[in-house]
Amino acid sequence: MDVIHNVLFGFQVALQPINLMYCFMGTLIGTLVGVLPGLGPAAAIALLLPSTFHTTPVSATIMLAGIYYGAMYGGSTTSILVNIPGEAASVVTCLDGHKMALKGRAGPALGIAAFGSFIAGTFGVIALTITGPLLSGVALRFGPPEYFAMMIVGITVLTYLSSGSMLKSLLMAAVGLILGGIGMDAISGKYRFTYGLQVLADGVGLVPVVMGLFGITEVLENLETEIKRDIVSTKFKNLFPTLQDWKDSAGPIGRGTILGFFLGLVPGGGAIIASFASYAIEKKVAKNPEEFGHGAIQGVAGPESANNSAASGNFIPLLTLGIPCNAVMAILLGALMIHGLQPGPLLMTKAPDLFWGTIVSMYIGNVMLLVLNLPLIGLWVKVLKVPYYLLYPLILLFCLIGAYSLNNSAGDVLVMLIFGIVGYLMRKFRYDGAPLVLALVLGPMLEEAFRQSLMLSKGDFSIFISRPLSLAFLIIAALLIILPIITQRKKLATLEE
Amino acid sequence: MSKSDKISGFFWLLFGILVSVESARLGLGTLHRPGPGFLFFYTGIFVSIISLIILTSAFLTNKMEGVRENIFGASRNIWKAVYVLIAIFLYALLMEPLGFIPVTLLLFLFILGILERKRWIVTMLTSVAVTAAAYLIFETALQSQLPKGVLEFLRF
Repeated sequence: MDVIHNVLFGFQVALQPINLMYCFMGTLIGTLVGVLPGLGPAAAIALLLPSTFHTTPVSATIMLAGIYYGAMYGGSTTSILVNIPGEAASVVTCLDGHKMALKGRAGPALGIAAFGSFIAGTFGVIALTITGPLLSGVALRFGPPEYFAMMIVGITVLTYLSSGSMLKSLLMAAVGLILGGIGMDAISGKYRFTYGLQVLADGVGLVPVVMGLFGITEVLENLETEIKRDIVSTKFKNLFPTLQDWKDSAGPIGRGTILGFFLGLVPGGGAIIASFASYAIEKKVAKNPEEFGHGAIQGVAGPESANNSAASGNFIPLLTLGIPCNAVMAILLGALMIHGLQPGPLLMTKAPDLFWGTIVSMYIGNVMLLVLNLPLIGLWVKVLKVPYYLLYPLILLFCLIGAYSLNNSAGDVLVMLIFGIVGYLMRKFRYDGAPLVLALVLGPMLEEAFRQSLMLSKGDFSIFISRPLSLAFLIIAALLIILPIITQRKKLATLEE
Repeated sequence: MSKSDKISGFFWLLFGILVSVESARLGLGTLHRPGPGFLFFYTGIFVSIISLIILTSAFLTNKMEGVRENIFGASRNIWKAVYVLIAIFLYALLMEPLGFIPVTLLLFLFILGILERKRWIVTMLTSVAVTAAAYLIFETALQSQLPKGVLEFLRF
């Protein structure tokens, strides 16, 4: 009964006109960000964060969350119509979505993507409502060693799943950890790695780093390779999928929803992996797998449901444990901290309006997205036609204003630009930015938990393995590091044979 | 792969060593009471070890395959990215002394007029419209305190 009571309280918060407005703005901006190639949800949230400083933490979180799950919806539009994924989680939708559009079935493709997203998003939110309090209860029993071990798992999972070499991802996580240590040491009060630079005294800000790594870098890379956009010109009359389409899609939507939700729960997992995994599963279980890649509706319904469900699942580790499982959640964590809140097991009791208000706003946001996506599809297509020569200076301008507005200081803008160059070089040298961002956010917490654990045990490292939960986490982390080494050796051995 | 891995491997090796040296200077403390440099000293060593592995495998791959690669590609558009970078760096440096309105106007005039070679009338109109809209949205509606610079006296 507690859950029902809490959900009703959540509705009370989320239905306040100001919060409804922020929810609408979030989903609208999210869809826009999803539609526009070259600006992902991570950069968009970082960009709009300063504009939320004047509002309450509840409204701010509702809007920022809306941007994230809104982008998952919007991303499918560009994948289907232009064969360019608006954001990474929609890459796989291109394969069959665009082929459907070329066959004159853009309407049903967009329709099933939106409906699938809605169903999955709603399921994700319901599951979040039920599991959130349970996990919070468990996490309340965590001490510093468990937190330390859990954060290590988070970082390892992300490096395990990130694109490219795992060694490079581990290296990036270590660099992120070091960057997180810049500024004043909370325990000794000493300044670390600041070299007398005022701009580094408070540490390297998460927002300028993310805007640099994801916003500026994206623009620089796109400037190098001209984006060609051939929009499929079709009238979007039949957005509602036929009965046969529904029959074909029901299974993929159901499987994608459940798979996405569980992958969203895993630190390091998320929408991108969920969409790829769903596509692979659908292809495997399909009666006619040869249709995949040639416009199979299952190839749109499954991944689109999975990425939305994962987006909802991502909120669970953040809101209940205070652990962000991907770059976007890391920025949201930073946003909550800027608003004076500490996400974690105590969030539900300390700020119930934020916890339940945000969750319930996602139900409302999902309905808004359905309304935004289907009838307004023509408008989003028009947005797609905005030429890139106009779009990229605008993205740059938003980044510049966003970074400056953080502390009204040009220093933050310079930090952002430096990380823009760093991010560009990282892409050229094939290093993934996500583990760096996650470690940058977790770094200070990880260090504190590590030092507190050692103080508790009077310098005895066995504290990390003598507690069952902490030991279990560390075993998982170790397995994640060892597994790729074993599989690579096996591969090498077979190659040599 | 190998050329880029050699360059980046060397860079991260130096970075790791530097971090460890600096962390040792900050103070490692004891196991009972770890100091401010404790975790970063070992993280620096970890970075150095991984970069050594990357370096070694890069040299080995090179020997085996004789790979040659061009990291930045042969794209002519790389200069466009460089000019844009210079422009936004100048923007960051000049935004406080000159103010938001003049630097934004200049940035758009440069990008649209010079880099993208759009017609001057289009460039002028777009630059003015974007600057005005951005000012109204961020300064007036969202109350961001954008720098006024040389236009301080106007007080709008």
